[in-house]
Amino acid sequence: MIESKHVTKSFELEKSKISVLDDVSFSVSEGDFVCLVGPSGCGKSTLLRIIAGLEHADSGEVLFHDQPQTSPTPKITMIFQLFGLLPWKTALENVEVALEVLESKKEARLDIANSHLRMVGLEGFENTYPHDLSGGMKQRVGIARALALQPEVLLMDEPFSSLDELTAKTLRSLVLEIRGKSSLATNTFIMVSHNVEEAVFMADRVIVMSPRPGRIVGEVKVDIPRPRMRYLRDPVYFKYVDEVMEALEKGK
Amino acid sequence: MNFVDNPEISSLPYYTFRTLLRITITLGISIAWGVPFGILASTNKTASLVLVPSIDLLQSIPILGYFPVIVLFFISLFHGGEFGIELSAILLLFTSMAWAIFFGVVGAVKGIPVNIIEAAQSFGVTGFKYIRHVILPAIVPALISGSTLAWCDGWFFMIAAEYIVYLGTTYSVPGLGSYLAKAAYVYNDLNLSVVILVLITAIVFYLNSLTWHRLMEKAATGTYKPVTRIGLSGLGKLGVVRPRWLHLGDRIHRPKSLILASKWVKRYTRLEKAVALAISLAAAFLIIYYIAGQIPSEVGFHEAFEDPEFLSLPVYTALTLGRLAVAYVISLGIALGMGVLAAEHKKFAAVFYPIYDIGQAVPILALFPIFFVYLSRVFGGRLGLEITAIVVLVLDMIWYMFLNVVGAVKSIPSEIREVGRLLGFKGLRRITHIVIPAILPAIVTGSILSWGTGWNTIIFAEYMPYEMELSGGQPLSLPGLGSYLDKTGYLPPPKGNALRLLFLLGEIAAIVLAMEGLVWRRLLKKFEKYRVEV
Repeated sequence: MIESKHVTKSFELEKSKISVLDDVSFSVSEGDFVCLVGPSGCGKSTLLRIIAGLEHADSGEVLFHDQPQTSPTPKITMIFQLFGLLPWKTALENVEVALEVLESKKEARLDIANSHLRMVGLEGFENTYPHDLSGGMKQRVGIARALALQPEVLLMDEPFSSLDELTAKTLRSLVLEIRGKSSLATNTFIMVSHNVEEAVFMADRVIVMSPRPGRIVGEVKVDIPRPRMRYLRDPVYFKYVDEVMEALEKGK
Repeated sequence: MNFVDNPEISSLPYYTFRTLLRITITLGISIAWGVPFGILASTNKTASLVLVPSIDLLQSIPILGYFPVIVLFFISLFHGGEFGIELSAILLLFTSMAWAIFFGVVGAVKGIPVNIIEAAQSFGVTGFKYIRHVILPAIVPALISGSTLAWCDGWFFMIAAEYIVYLGTTYSVPGLGSYLAKAAYVYNDLNLSVVILVLITAIVFYLNSLTWHRLMEKAATGTYKPVTRIGLSGLGKLGVVRPRWLHLGDRIHRPKSLILASKWVKRYTRLEKAVALAISLAAAFLIIYYIAGQIPSEVGFHEAFEDPEFLSLPVYTALTLGRLAVAYVISLGIALGMGVLAAEHKKFAAVFYPIYDIGQAVPILALFPIFFVYLSRVFGGRLGLEITAIVVLVLDMIWYMFLNVVGAVKSIPSEIREVGRLLGFKGLRRITHIVIPAILPAIVTGSILSWGTGWNTIIFAEYMPYEMELSGGQPLSLPGLGSYLDKTGYLPPPKGNALRLLFLLGEIAAIVLAMEGLVWRRLLKKFEKYRVEV
C-alpha cells in the first residue's frame, strides 16, 4: 500500500549540507501497524512527512497505491507530537474544521466531529479551547480529528512523547482499542518513536534506523497476540525489546 | 532657474552638522539620565513604585502634546534668546528619546538571571563593585538597542523640535529639520524640500545600517537573552538592500518599543497607576503655578473654558478619532496584505523589505510639509491638509503593523502550518483558518503601537501655523483635537491658555488610557489563549 523506494533527503543548514535520510526502502501493506524506531535526529520524522506529502525526497520516491505521493491527501493523516491543534478553535471546532474540505454541510460535519470526540472520551469538553485542556486531552482531540477524516493510513509522529508516562499508557491503549473496532475505516498505522518498549507494545513490525543519516539497519517482526497488556511482564515481550535494542546498538 | 536654487543651500553641510550634533548631544543626555534612573528604578523598590509608572504615563501622553508647555517655559525663561530655543529643542528631543533608554535599562537589570545575582552575592560582590561588574555589563546591549530606538525617535521628532511657531513668531534653530520646514513653508519650494528629505532619509538609513546595526551584532554576544534587533539592514551588493533579519523569526527588530507597549498594559496594578497619576497631576499643577504665576483663581477657570471653540470639543474629539480610525483601517489593510505576502513569498519579500527599510528611515514628520505643499496645489489648502493628514498618518502607522504581521506570520509554528496543509486548506481558507487567527495577538500589539504613534502625528498634522500663500496668508487648520491643542498652546491669549492646554492634554491621556483599558487590554487577554504553545 505504501512503498518507500530509495528515499534520500538532505537539508541545508547554514550553508552546509546535512544528509538526513540515506537510501531508505521499506513497504507497508494494508492493515499493518509499523513503527519506525531510531535515535533523535535520525530523520524518522522527515520520513513520515515525506509519506504524508509534506516534504519531498531529493531522490527516490514514496508510492501510495502505486502512485507517487507528492502532496497531502485526506487518505493519509497525521497525529503530531505537540498535538497540532488550532488554539483559536474549541475541541469540537478543531475536529469540525478538519472536515471542511471533504464535507460541505456544517450539520454533517458537526455530527461526525461529535461522534469522534465521544469515541476518544471527550464528551463534555466539546466547547473547551486547547489552552484549557491537559496534554492528554489535547492528543485525544488530535486523534479524533485525524480519524474523523476516515483516512486509510494514520501517521503518528512521536504522539505520546510529550505526555507523562501514565497518560501515554492510557492513550496507547486507546489507540489500540480504537484500531480494533471493526467500524473503523483506518487500518494502516505508521508510528515514529524513540521509545523501544512503546514500539514493541504497539507495532506488528518495528523498523530500526541508524543515527544520521538515517538508514534502515534492521526489522523486528513482533509476534505477540493482542491485546498485549497482559504480556507486559512476559519474557516474550522483553525478548522483542532486546532484539530491537540490539539492532539499534549495531546500527550506531 | 536651477533645479535647486536657494540662498541657504550652501549652509546645508552646516545644518546637517548641527542636527547631528543636536541629536547626539540629546542621546548623551538621555543616556546620562536613563542609566542612573533606570538602575535606581530597577533595584530600589520605592523608587520603582514611583518612577516606572509615572514615566510610563508620561510616555503614554503624545510627546508632541508637551511641546507648547516646554516651549512656553524655555522661551519665557530666556526671553526668546537663541540659547533658550536650542534648549527647548533639545528638551523636546529628550522627551522623545529618553524613554527607550530608561526602559531598556530597567528591562536589562530586571532580566539579570537570579543565579548570576546569587553568585555575585556569594562572592561578596556588592555596592559599587556590583554595579561595575554585574549591572553595567548587563545593560550594555540594552543601552545599544535603546540608543538605536532613541536615535530613530530623535530623527522622527527633529523637524517638529527645530521649527516652532509660537505666539505668531517663528522660533527655529539651524538644522536640517528647520531648513526643510523653511523650504516648504517659507520658500514654498517642492524640489528643495524633496532634496532635503532624501538627504535626511539617506543619513538616517546610512547611519542605521552602518553604526547601529554593527553595534547590535556585537552586543548580541554576551547577553543573557536575545537582544531585540534593529531591522535596518546593511547595504548588500550593488546597493540592493539585503533584509538580514528576514530569517530571524520573532527575534526581528520591533521598532520603538513593542515590548513597552504590551508591558504597560499588563504590568501595573490600579494602585500603581493611581500613584503615577497623582504625581503627574502634582507636576502639572506646579507647571501651571509657574506659568500663571499664581494658583488659578475662579476667574482663571472662566477664562480658560469660555473660549467659543471649547463647546465644539466633543465634535473635535470625534473628528480626530475618526481621522485616526480611517488611517488605522487603511494601514491595517495594507500592512496585512503586504506583511503576509512578504512573510510567505520570497519574491514579495524582495520588494517589500527594502520598501520597509527605507520607509522606516524616512522621518514621517518631515514628509508632512512636502505632501502638504504638493497636495494643496492639487486639492487646495483645506482638502489638501485633510488628505495630507491621513496619508502621513497611514505612512506613520503602517510600519508597526507591517513588522508585527511579518514577524508573527514567520513565527507560526511549523506544526500548525503542516496541519493546514494536511487538511487541504488553500488560498482564502488557509488565510482565514490559519494565518489570521495565528497573528491576531501581533495585530493587537501592532495596533497599540500604531495608535500611540498616530496620536503624536495627528497633533502635528492637523495644524499648519505657517502663513503661506497657499492658505491666503492665514494659518490653516483642520477642526480637531490636535489642532485645538496646538492653537491653545501656540497662539496668544485668549485663544492660547495654559490651563486649557493642560486640560486638553489630560483629555488625550484619558482617551489613550481608556482605549488601552477598554479595547487593547481586553483583546490581548482574549487572544492570549490563541498563542500556540510550543
